[in-house]
Amino acid sequence: EKADPQKTAFLLRKAWTLYSVTPMYGFRRARLRDYARLLGAFIAAEKHKGLAVEVGVELDIKVALSSLADIRGSELDQAALLVQLSSRSQGSSRNSEDKPVWWGWFCSVFGDELSENVPEHFTCLPLFLSHGAESYTALVGSWFQKTFDCCFRRLAISPLNLSWMVAMWAGCKLDRAASAVELVFSVPRLAQPLDISYAIHPEDAKALWDTVQKTPGEITQEEVDVFMDCLYAHFHRHFKIHLSAAKLVKVSTAIASAHCDGIVKILHSQYLPGVLMLLTELAISQIQ
Amino acid sequence: MDETVAEYIRRTVLKIPRDEIKMMLQKWGFLSEAQLQTLNFHQIKDNISQEVVQLCEENSADIKQAAVLDIIYNHIYQNKRMWSVYQMKRSGEELEYFDITDFKKKFKRRLRSALKNVTITFKEYEDNAIWIRVAWGTPHKKPNQYKPSYVVYHSQTPYVFISSSVLKSTLPLLCQALIVASNYHDIRDMELRSHSLNSLKDIVFKRYSQNFQTCTPKPLQGGNVEPEIADIRIVEENRSEKERIHRLNQEVFGSGPQPKLEFAQYRLETMFKSDPKMDVLDKKEPFRCLVKFSSPHLLESLKFLAPAGMADAPLSPLLTCIPHKARNYFKIREKKGLYPESFVSP
Repeated sequence: EKADPQKTAFLLRKAWTLYSVTPMYGFRRARLRDYARLLGAFIAAEKHKGLAVEVGVELDIKVALSSLADIRGSELDQAALLVQLSSRSQGSSRNSEDKPVWWGWFCSVFGDELSENVPEHFTCLPLFLSHGAESYTALVGSWFQKTFDCCFRRLAISPLNLSWMVAMWAGCKLDRAASAVELVFSVPRLAQPLDISYAIHPEDAKALWDTVQKTPGEITQEEVDVFMDCLYAHFHRHFKIHLSAAKLVKVSTAIASAHCDGIVKILHSQYLPGVLMLLTELAISQIQ
Repeated sequence: MDETVAEYIRRTVLKIPRDEIKMMLQKWGFLSEAQLQTLNFHQIKDNISQEVVQLCEENSADIKQAAVLDIIYNHIYQNKRMWSVYQMKRSGEELEYFDITDFKKKFKRRLRSALKNVTITFKEYEDNAIWIRVAWGTPHKKPNQYKPSYVVYHSQTPYVFISSSVLKSTLPLLCQALIVASNYHDIRDMELRSHSLNSLKDIVFKRYSQNFQTCTPKPLQGGNVEPEIADIRIVEENRSEKERIHRLNQEVFGSGPQPKLEFAQYRLETMFKSDPKMDVLDKKEPFRCLVKFSSPHLLESLKFLAPAGMADAPLSPLLTCIPHKARNYFKIREKKGLYPESFVSP
């Protein structure tokens, strides 16, 4: 259940853009090498067509597909699938190393709700995370869509879900050097836009959450609401501003950070499965 | 001409938008009008700056002249820098006669006695502002011209506006030299920062429209309130509430434009108070928070919070006190005693 920290180190501290992906038809684990070759050829062809990825940069793109066996929730989940694009600049010697330029991985952590109901020949990996140039994401995404008849959609995170995340993560056990629990609000529709950053000392945020949460290991919507109301009330006491009327756009803790545009950063390997489980749930909601 | 000076002039010219290069060189006055005529301002900036460097070579420019060009650039593009306001204090009430030559001499002497390698440049502007540029070196290295500090001092006032070098250790030296040169005995950070130098001046020189008390409610005016609706079948909800908010806003903010600040930061060390029924946190220690408001024009955006329904009117004094307390960094602690609800800002 716990992912090997070495293999998953590259997942941490990167900003991942989130997508939901519908089940893929005809995907076969045994053919990863073939897929890598085909995807590589597709990318080269698209570049040749003049849809250059980066102006003035001549790069040979190498594609690698691999399975991340450790990233899954239960046996019902498919193992995660990693796509990595590396560049090898032209004219360099054989000894030059490939430089990774783009990562994308599909995963499902306790995505039983989806995989239970899916017909044969379909592979469920509803959550897709990418890091790197948007143009590469578009290329990889369109190849997968064409090849496996699936559909990618950007996964936005609502203020409701962001408040779940911040409540959950604020309650996690802390290292000594934990960073603040920060909520970022944006006030729309004003003549001059206003952003409000509300950062709470992690010990104090956890202390608050600990008195709100009634059953360890279990979180209810009511508890999240109470936690948020406490933070709003403390803020209102000082500034007379109703933060609840502002738009929560980003939350950030020592565990992870998440932005409403569907961008997350995971900072702690220990909590990787928990975060992925939550995101898998969001992805599945969007698909259904 | 020194290689480093040539490179510095080249890079300074490159920063200037192409349409403004001629004007800035004219302000600089180091190149003659005849020399300026020879420049082709319609080519790419790289080439223009090379040509400027060649002309400077002809005139044997040194770092002192190059530094003046840099001040001119930064005076025009002052809003690219972050400025902090400091206030100097005198021991007595004596009004000293300000002698600019004496000031410059003392300033240079104080800095040079502490640090041999410094480049110090002064430029006076019409509004009684003295601009000072200091490039810092070490006992063994020539001054780094790319990380200077800038000071704007209005000699008729105790205020200095400092755009610090990224070399943090230089700030104490700079402050020392300022008080020695201007015959003050102390200087304090007012915790007031912004990119808009003029707005900072507006705040400390009290040049913005301040609170005014209205004895009688004013008739509706200004952009805050919707225009009269002609159709009598349409009734405006909460009209009196809207008027009340508008009036309170006027009282707090005045009717003129607000000084331009980009952020306000509050370090809260107050207690967390809650409804006992909620059975939540009841600690005896402060609930530590850091709140930061950011906006391209903070005070204007705060002004519209209450009319937008996002805030109560009147707005919290923690926010409305910013211009007249002349600060935008605050540390808020609980006030002890009879009124635990009020806050004190040291």
